[in-house]
Parts: sequence; structure tokens; C-alpha cells
Amino acid sequence: MIQRVAIKIDGMIIRAPKGTSVLDAALDYGICIPHLCRVPYLSDIGACRLCIVEHVVNGRSKITTSCTLLVKEDMVILSNTEEVRKLRRNIAELIVAEAPNSRAIQDVALRCGVKEVRYPFRNSDCILCGRCVSVCTGRFGVKAIGFVGRGNERRVETPFNMRSELCRDCGACIDVCPMAVVPCGGPMKTGEERLCGNCEPKMAFAEQTPGFCVWCDLGEGFQCERYAMGLRK
Amino acid sequence: MRKINTISDLEALREELQNFRKNFDTTLVLCGGTGCQASRSRELINRVKGEVTKQGLEKKVLVRATGCHGFCEQGPIVVVEPGNIFYCHVMPDDAQEIIAETVCNGEVIERLLYTDPVTGKTIQTESEIPFYRSQDRQLLAQNRQVDPCSIEDYIAIGGYSAISKTLAGMAPEAIIEEVKTAGLRGRGGGGFPTGRKWAECLEAPGDEKYVICNADEGDPGAYMDRSVLEGNPHLVLEGMMIGAWAVAAQQGYVYVRNEYPLAVEHIRVAVQQARELGLLGENILGTSFSFDVEIARGGGAFVCGESTALMASLEGKVGEPRPKDIHTVVDGLWHKPTVLNNVETWANIPSIVLNGSKWFASKGSKNSKGTKILALTGRIKNTGLVEVPMGTSLQTVIFDVGGGPTGKSIRAVQTGGPSGGCLPIDKFYLPLEFDALAEAGSMIGSGGIVVMDEETCMVDVAKYFLAFLQDESCGKCVPCRLGIDRMLEIITDITEGLGTPEQIDLLEDLANTVSETALCALGKTAANPVLSTLRYFPDEYDAHISQKKCPAGVCQALVTYSIDPEICTGCGICKRECPHEAISGKKKQPHKIDPQLCQKCGICKSECNFEAIQVK
Ligand SMILES: Cc1cc2nc3c(=O)[nH]c(=O)nc-3n(C[C@H](O)[C@H](O)[C@H](O)COP(=O)(O)O)c2cc1C
Ligand code: SF4
Ligand code: FES
Repeated sequence: MIQRVAIKIDGMIIRAPKGTSVLDAALDYGICIPHLCRVPYLSDIGACRLCIVEHVVNGRSKITTSCTLLVKEDMVILSNTEEVRKLRRNIAELIVAEAPNSRAIQDVALRCGVKEVRYPFRNSDCILCGRCVSVCTGRFGVKAIGFVGRGNERRVETPFNMRSELCRDCGACIDVCPMAVVPCGGPMKTGEERLCGNCEPKMAFAEQTPGFCVWCDLGEGFQCERYAMGLRK
Repeated sequence: MRKINTISDLEALREELQNFRKNFDTTLVLCGGTGCQASRSRELINRVKGEVTKQGLEKKVLVRATGCHGFCEQGPIVVVEPGNIFYCHVMPDDAQEIIAETVCNGEVIERLLYTDPVTGKTIQTESEIPFYRSQDRQLLAQNRQVDPCSIEDYIAIGGYSAISKTLAGMAPEAIIEEVKTAGLRGRGGGGFPTGRKWAECLEAPGDEKYVICNADEGDPGAYMDRSVLEGNPHLVLEGMMIGAWAVAAQQGYVYVRNEYPLAVEHIRVAVQQARELGLLGENILGTSFSFDVEIARGGGAFVCGESTALMASLEGKVGEPRPKDIHTVVDGLWHKPTVLNNVETWANIPSIVLNGSKWFASKGSKNSKGTKILALTGRIKNTGLVEVPMGTSLQTVIFDVGGGPTGKSIRAVQTGGPSGGCLPIDKFYLPLEFDALAEAGSMIGSGGIVVMDEETCMVDVAKYFLAFLQDESCGKCVPCRLGIDRMLEIITDITEGLGTPEQIDLLEDLANTVSETALCALGKTAANPVLSTLRYFPDEYDAHISQKKCPAGVCQALVTYSIDPEICTGCGICKRECPHEAISGKKKQPHKIDPQLCQKCGICKSECNFEAIQVK
């Protein structure tokens, strides 16, 4: 029999099977915790840091990522505090400043409340979320791509920079890539990057019930786990 | 060498070795550490040995090549015992004179003695030298007593008696209790209570457990772990053996930085010798305790010193940190309970077991016990490796041990390595200990201390450390990879005179976000250089932003070079040396720099004999 534990997220008592992450448990109950590097059913790498929550232990709260935190009896989680929202917004701002030309990333930023970007935009092709690497190695056990280099040099690469013999052309890496979704208005030219903001009205509903999943459509763009798991249909 | 099977075997060997050493009249202690090797100590050691043989003194004079003595800038160092005569800057050619004069005739060679830079007088013994006088060298002093490649030396000075005491009758719980009450906290930077870490590991379920010694030491300018591992590897091994007994581990690893060839060599020899004697392996000292150690060489990245990255690297994976929602004491190396401690932490264990927790806790401050090794560098008279009780004030370390400024007056100190912080001179009363420094926005870290004077620009310092951390960040998580990058972008703007007042708020907001949300401690502490300089030197940032000036004259874009007509003699050297032909003037008349042509290379400043070049 599956053991279940009870945890509290934002005051709501949730029961989840032992071994699930707080993020999974929350999404199951329709509590919206934004996330990006997470790919359903794969082990989490905790890289994007968008899924942060406050974990309250003995009255003191600690910021941690919910995708890597496993549920434990009587755990107390706050997913939508002022502090969490601020930090999440700042992280999303960093990401969207690198990749204004991705609709998925624009959606994440909007969902996280980014209203302005205080850094000069850079137009990167890859934001190193690692979703492709996770899918390739985690789901298919293939390792046709991986990370190389560190710091600024980090990038996703095939082994020895050649097409890997192991690659089966399954295309899963492209399916999960947030960069593969172009903004509705088409690519932005260098120097003209901006926050798209077209979907802002869609957030209105979400803003009234913060923290609860309202199937906000943005989720589809940023490949929210709930969409990816096909819960909608 | 015969195997040691019991505790009495060990004691018998010890007595034998000690008696043998009594036969020598004189001991020549020569430093052979990495620092002194750079100043030809290897050659000196060979010459001294050759000279001893030539004079037929082998039975009377013991020549001991040891690890680092700490005062590397004075190397190579030779100490003559008895008498503790301290010679510095000894060259291979001095070997003969030392043997002839000091060893045979008992004469002190005046010109090889240390000269106190303050009084100008020579000093004969180590304990009188101000640099050493204000220290408490519990760990470092042992370096002088042993040849790191000789297990006999270590045993002769009482080595491996802590493990024999342990195995003779201290239960794991008793050892852990002793370490807990001693109040030992990790020396690798975090300051986590060692006893608590061990207790958690002992309690963790599983039969297979590991202990690891972290000798990755990637901080630029730090070499305390190197000197201990290189100078006294058996001490570290003994500490690990006690730890392994306490947490019930059978296997240990020493993860040592590849750039430390001498340390790798010495620990390898030490492990080999301990195995040959039976101090590592099955049924150590005739007990049920079995333990062995392997040496692993580090991948060379700073981040590989982080606990989870180190373990990944040991497992043969990419050295990248992973989330630590489950601690490594439960889920560590190969998912087994693992204790990871720093070199210096391990080195403290044997004396805690031998002398008791009370003795250890008698040194240090309320919440930081024992001594700490520091790498003291920067604009001060004496630099080197220093060991002081925790809680010693910055003031004492910088002015008493360090001997004060070299020229310009001291204005700040940077402690804790690349992710530490900068403290201004009015904070020099602060004690060097974990909590006080953390509260002030810096940290003790692994023990790096860089002293800065008026020619140091604090914004530039923050920029330097950010650039280091940007290179060394593994790049996995967003706040660290992009956050450091953007902080560096902003700071670079400021140093180039492109900064705006709003950027200060952004910088602070970003710095806090990075420290709150980064995955590992590299990112979590990466903002320290920024936050501490913003906190203590806001005027300096302001000068860069609103006046477009760098008060210290460091930021190239913000300074102009000019010649003081009052001082300039018109000698013409600068005019000749300037590669950009920016200087003009007639012979014997004050010269001038054309700001349009000046590339701010600084050559004129270094060439001028009259200090007439002004940088403002
Ligand atoms: C980026 C980074 C680098 C580190 N480098 C070292 C190191 O070189 N040596 C070390 O002992 N600890 C280092 N640490 C600290 C270790 O993660 C770990 O806390 C320590 O080895 C534990 O030992 P201790 O409790 O004895 O200090 C580093 C931590 C970080 C985040
Ligand atoms: S904080 Fe920096 S070093 Fe640590 S995991 Fe994140 S990117 Fe890597
Ligand atoms: S860190 Fe949790 S989803 Fe990216």
C-alpha cells in the first residue's frame, strides 16, 4: 500500500504519497507554483530556482526549491508569501532578460509578476534550463546531449561536438525546449526586445486567486507540469 | 618494517624511536614546503646533507626536511636545535658555514638572522620574532617536528597515540561527545559543529559509511590546508581514523587538489607507510576496527570543494553541486552516509582525544573554539601562514602578527576568501570567529586574510571577486550563473563611470536574491563581496557614480594622469619611456601629459624617480 503523509501548503492540508516532491503534491491539488527546469516524472535538478517556497521549521522559514523537497509528515510550506513572490520575480527577470524571444519564457516572467526588466536584454538561444538534457538522459537513458563547461562557458553539447551515435532522432529535446516557442508577434530584433505583455489580461483572474491554478493559458506556453501531464483533458 | 599488531607494539616502537633520537646532539630543521622549495630549499637540503656526510657528522647531526613553517616570505628557513636559532633566506651556499660555524663551533651567524623591520635589530630565535610571538601554533608548530615522509618521526613525537587511546576504550559515542563538548566547528568555511555532523552520521541507517577529507582548497591565495597535509599528513590520517571509528566507516578518501603535487605525494607516502605498519587495513592494533584510505585527485575547479560536488567528482561524475534537501551525512558518497571534513578540522581531532575537550575549549571564544590557521597577505610587513586562537581580534592579526602597513595606511581587510566580505578599519576590533564576522557581513571562511591600504579601490575589489566567482560558478542554477553575471555587469559599468544611482538599488536587490535562492553555498555567498562593500564603503560607490572619480586611483577609466610641476625636475625619463608619446616638455623644465594621448598605462608613474606623477 502506498504510504501517504499530510502536509500543509499555505494553510491547506494536503495528502501526498511518500516520496513525492512538494511541487508535485502542490500541483496535484491545483496550487500553482511556477517552475521551469522540472520535467514530469524525471528526477529534479533544482536549477531554475523558480519553484522556491518557504519551508517553515520550528518557526523559522527557509527558502528552498519545492521540486527537490520531498514531502514529510506535518511539513509546513508557504508558497506565496511576499518574500517568495519577490525572489521569484527577480529570478524570472534574470531569465527573461536573456531570452525575450521565447514565448514560454515571456509567459513565465508574466506569471511571476515581472513588469519591467532592469537589465539590458541579451538575446540568447539557450537559457540552460536543462530540460532537454533531463529528457534525453533521464527519460530515455541516452545521453546524446549533456552540459559542458562551467560558469559563462556552460552550454548544451553533443559528445565531442559531433552528432551522437546514440541519438535516435526522437525529438523529445525539442518538444520540451522553451526556446522553441516564438512570441506571438514574431521574433524581436536586437535592440527592440521588450516584455511582450500581450497576455497580461489573462493574469487578471490569476491575480485574484493567487497561488491557485486557474489553467491560466500561460501555463501552456511555459509548459507547466499540469499541462504536460495532460491533466487538462 | 615490522607490523604493529597491538597497542604495546606501538608503544615499544615509540620508545625505540625516541631513544634513537636522543643520540643526536644537534638537529637541523630545514623547511621543504612548497613556498620554500620555490626559493631553492631542495638544493639547500641536499647541500646540508652532503656537508654533514662530508664532515662525518651523521651520527651527531640530524637533518630534518620538514613542511611549511609559515613565514614563507623569509624562506628558505633553517632552525638549529638546541638553541632554536632561526636563520632565514638561507641559500645553498650557506650550508657549509652553518655546519662549520653554528653546528661545530656553536657560533651564531649574524647575517642569516631575521631583522625586525620595525626596530632594525636582528633576532635570534623564532619565539622572539614578532610574527611568531603573537601566535598560538597548535597545528603548525608540529610541522617543524616531523619529516612529513617519515612515519617514525610522527610516532616519535607521540603520533598515533590518540587512535590507540580511542581503540583502547573509547566508544564511538564517547568520542563524539568529546568532539561535541570541545566545540570544534568545521574549518572548511561553514563552521558546522563537527560533533553534531558525526552524531548524525553515526545514527544514519546503513552499514556502509564513508569519511572524506576535503583538501580541495580552491580559494586563490589560500594554502593552510596544503601546508598541513604537506607538512604533517599523518596527523590528518590519524584524525580521519578516529572519525571513522566514531561513525563506523570502513573507508576514507582524501580529495586533494591536483595542483598540490607535494601534498599528493606526501599523503600518498603516509598512507603507504601506515598500511605497511598495519595502522591502516584490517583489525587495526589488534582490534575489530578496519579502515583504509584512498587518495583522489581533484578536478581543479573551485566548486569541486563544495560537499556534494566533491562527492559527485569522487563518484566519477561531473563535479556539480546538487540540492541538499537530504544531508550528506545520510545520503552522501554513493548515497551512503558520509562525513566530509576539512583538512584542518581532521588535524584538530587527535589532540582533542589526547588532551580532552576541556583543553581544546579553553582556547578560543564563546562559540568558536580552538585555533585557526590563516593565510595572511596584502599590504602588510609580514605575510605568511598564521595560527591564532579563535576570537583574536583583526587588529592583533594585522598589526601585531602582520607588523602593520608597508607604506600607505591600512583601510580595510577582506576575510574569508572569494566569497567573504570587506571590513573597514573601524571594524578591526572584531574577533576572528564564525559568528561575529558573519554578523558583520563577512566570514572567516577557510581563513584567507587580505589587508588593503589606501591604494585599493573597494569597488574594484568587489569586481575582482565577482569575476573569479563568475568563472568558477558551475553554471547550473539561474541566480548564481545569471545573477553573478549581472552583478559583474553593473559593477563594471560603475568602475567605467557608466553607473547610475538606480543601479545601486538594483545591485542590492539582486545580491539579496542571489544569496537567498542559489542552489549551493558558492552562489549563496557570492554576493558577500558586493553587499559588504556596499554596506561599509557607500561613499566610494557614490564617488564612482556621481563624481565619476575613483578615490583610490585604481579604476582606469576614472583617473587622469598629470605631472606635479612643483616636483617635476624635467629629467625627461617619463617622456622617453611613454609608449604613447603623450608627454612633452623641455629639459629641466616641468613636463606635461596630454590627456588625449594618455592611455593610462602607468609606466611614467613607475619610472619617475621623484614621485611627480599624480593619479587622480
Ligand atoms: C564553492 C565552495 C568551495 C568549497 N571549497 C572547500 C575547500 O576547498 N575545502 C574545504 O574544506 N571546504 C570547502 N568548502 C566547504 C565544504 O562544502 C564543506 O562544507 C566542508 O568541507 C565541510 O568540512 P568542515 O565541516 O570540516 O568545514 C567549499 C564550499 C563551497 C560552497
Ligand atoms: S550556486 Fe552556482 S555553483 Fe552552486 S549550483 Fe548554482 S550555479 Fe552551481
Ligand atoms: S528548480 Fe524546481 S522547477 Fe526548476
